[in-house]
Amino acid sequence: MQTQTQVVPIRTPEQSSGDDIPTVLQPDGTLNEAHDPKLELSEVLDLYKAMVRTRVIDGQLERLQRQGRIGFHIGSLGEEACIIGSAAAMREQDWIFPCYREFGALLWRGFPLQSYVDNMYGNVDDVVQGRQMPDHYTGRPYRFGSVSSPIGTQITQAVGFSWAAMSKGSDEVSSVYFGEGATSSSEFHTGLNFGGVMNSPTIFLCRNNRWAISVPSEKQTASESFAAKGIAYGVPGVQVDGNDVLATYKVVREAVEKAAKGGGPTLIEMLTYRVGGHSTSDDPRAYRVQDEVERWRKTDPILRMKLHLEKIDAWNEEQDEAFKKECEAELKACIKAAEAKEKPPLETMFDGVFAEKPWHLEEQQAELLSGPRAKDHH
Amino acid sequence: MASGKDKLLSQYRMMYLIRRFEEESARAYAMGKVGGFLHLYIGQEAIAVGTCEVLNDTDYVFQTYRDHGTALARGMTPTAAMAELMGKDIGCSKGLGGSMHFFDVEHNFLGGYGIIGGHVALAAGAAYKSKYTGDGAVTVCFFGEGSTNIGGFHEGLSLAGLWKLPVVFICENNQYAMGTPMSRTSPLEDLTLKAQGYGMHGDRIKGHDVAVVESHVGQAVERARKGGGPTFIEIETYRFRGHSMSDPAKYRTRAELEERKKQDPCAIAKARLLEGGVSQEEIDALEEAVEAEVENAVETADAAEPAKVENMWSTVYAPSSAAEDYVANYGKHFGGGR
Ligand SMILES: Cc1ncc(C[n+]2csc(CCOP(=O)(O)OP(=O)(O)O)c2C)c(N)n1
Ligand SMILES: Cc1ncc(C[n+]2csc(CCOP(=O)(O)OP(=O)(O)O)c2C)c(N)n1
Repeated sequence: MQTQTQVVPIRTPEQSSGDDIPTVLQPDGTLNEAHDPKLELSEVLDLYKAMVRTRVIDGQLERLQRQGRIGFHIGSLGEEACIIGSAAAMREQDWIFPCYREFGALLWRGFPLQSYVDNMYGNVDDVVQGRQMPDHYTGRPYRFGSVSSPIGTQITQAVGFSWAAMSKGSDEVSSVYFGEGATSSSEFHTGLNFGGVMNSPTIFLCRNNRWAISVPSEKQTASESFAAKGIAYGVPGVQVDGNDVLATYKVVREAVEKAAKGGGPTLIEMLTYRVGGHSTSDDPRAYRVQDEVERWRKTDPILRMKLHLEKIDAWNEEQDEAFKKECEAELKACIKAAEAKEKPPLETMFDGVFAEKPWHLEEQQAELLSGPRAKDHH
Repeated sequence: MASGKDKLLSQYRMMYLIRRFEEESARAYAMGKVGGFLHLYIGQEAIAVGTCEVLNDTDYVFQTYRDHGTALARGMTPTAAMAELMGKDIGCSKGLGGSMHFFDVEHNFLGGYGIIGGHVALAAGAAYKSKYTGDGAVTVCFFGEGSTNIGGFHEGLSLAGLWKLPVVFICENNQYAMGTPMSRTSPLEDLTLKAQGYGMHGDRIKGHDVAVVESHVGQAVERARKGGGPTFIEIETYRFRGHSMSDPAKYRTRAELEERKKQDPCAIAKARLLEGGVSQEEIDALEEAVEAEVENAVETADAAEPAKVENMWSTVYAPSSAAEDYVANYGKHFGGGR
């Protein structure tokens, strides 16, 4: 089986857009017509606003964590374009399987912001009833899978899911996000091989944000690129400037359309950069130099789109400020509501896994409810 | 290292020994003298022999459960091997491992392994030790094509590539993983494409000619020894018997088997000896000596003492009162042998 795979070495920020990497929006905001997906202006504005909203939420949630009001947040600062661009490229009937950094994609799918904030607080309205860490959401009605912390597990889930959809004769495609670090997990290996053999309609979205916590991507693999790993599985691999929302949209959309027609999976390496820490529990100053971060900031995905929109007179500073304020106000209201809600009742801890509660859980529940953690225990 | 005719003679001798050893182990199995599973190497002999030819005594070798041939090529005596199959104390693993778990520290044969892919990561570990201590050793790790899809393979090759470890991964592609042809488990025909995913060298050869194996594996071993990093070699081969003794191999046709038997590595080596001027008498004498050696191994193993219950602990735990207690209290349940 012949596969077309780009094998371009892992790049520096200055090289992450260029001749051999399809780029639409240059860092200075100029538009390369050749690769332009030619979206309506309203669609382009939606993409921009979704990125800005994501960034505003990230900033606020990090602050809440520092204030001790939520326990944890894992954000996408700097990675907004590859997340929003790829989510937007999925059609209504398609499914998205997240890693843990894609709340932007979740919201893009229409998941209510209030539900997301409820998940951050683990209150009674949290979709997972406070049984997980913050940022471990799930959104079945939005065709959005569950976040699970163990690296790589979502990859095999997405392959199985999309293979099942294909077997049923539907044209639903599944995309799955993971970081470049996850390519060293055995689930990546199993998932890509299975997808390659079964020709499953799976879009493998590798966010190469250069860092797996403190491990730089150079220390992750001896392979020339992460896209090149597709060669080993007969899966075409492509690289895209992941800080370019339009280029990402275009490359992912083409892969989705190909998969929907029975053309099989694609591995897409989205070149981006994790500007923030790995999560609120991490301080990256311990392992990387600030200069690197500054170089990447120059390729910022939101900035270049803003420059572009301003150039074509579709957006201005005033509108920008007003929109950010709007996002902040919306979030503030959700936080206020979430903080006012009760925590899920203790006894619900035992629900949701078994249709009929087994005897040992009955016993554990009874023991817990008679112990010091019960509400009416004094 | 011997050269020319002498070398081919000694290689043929080893291939023939493996062939005869495997035939006799199948017979012993049929007679009920061997417990557990038994996976035969018949048809693949040139790979173990060609590879071990280029290794130093201090190099390390890992193999799957299809391990008898490789252990013999590495220098294990047929008696230690046969006794292991029969669960005898004089076996290479004191009769406690059986067919799938040969081990021979003296010859740096670091094991047969039953879990698919599990040993690939162990081999990367051995190679890491060599890089870390600078002991100059190279590790060779064998596995089947069916093993290339499991996590242990991915993890082992990924780290070996990344850290440029002195290891050679040899994929013995015998076409079937139990009853599953590779077309059903891999979108690739050329498995060396996998090497690119790990940034390592790849090579692809046929495995019926011991000289070809020796030359290609030799290059990879030399590169590894010089610090040039790992190589993944796919060696195309065929097993003439079923996957194990419990497999009637109904998933392939008789015609396919007959066609493949025309590429019998033992027959090819023998023909080359005759061509090179070695007389039929010389070959007959060599084969008779091998027959006697194998026969002796079977008889010695058969007559030997069964595995000792106390070794079940002493081979795993350092001497301690807890281990002694364990033997005293529980050992009796295992007593009596087979
Ligand atoms: C199986 C497993 N091992 C280790 C971890 C700890 N861990 C959490 S995130 C992470 C790094 C992942 O990096 P990458 O895949 O590049 O994604 P990124 O966080 O950069 O988006 C690790 C090692 C884990 N969650 N699961
Ligand atoms: C982890 C694991 N899964 C399944 C098995 C069962 N099993 C034993 S041998 C085998 C086939 C392996 O085929 P291949 O790697 O091609 O080696 P071959 O036997 O052909 O030499 C399988 C699936 C196992 N031993 N370990």
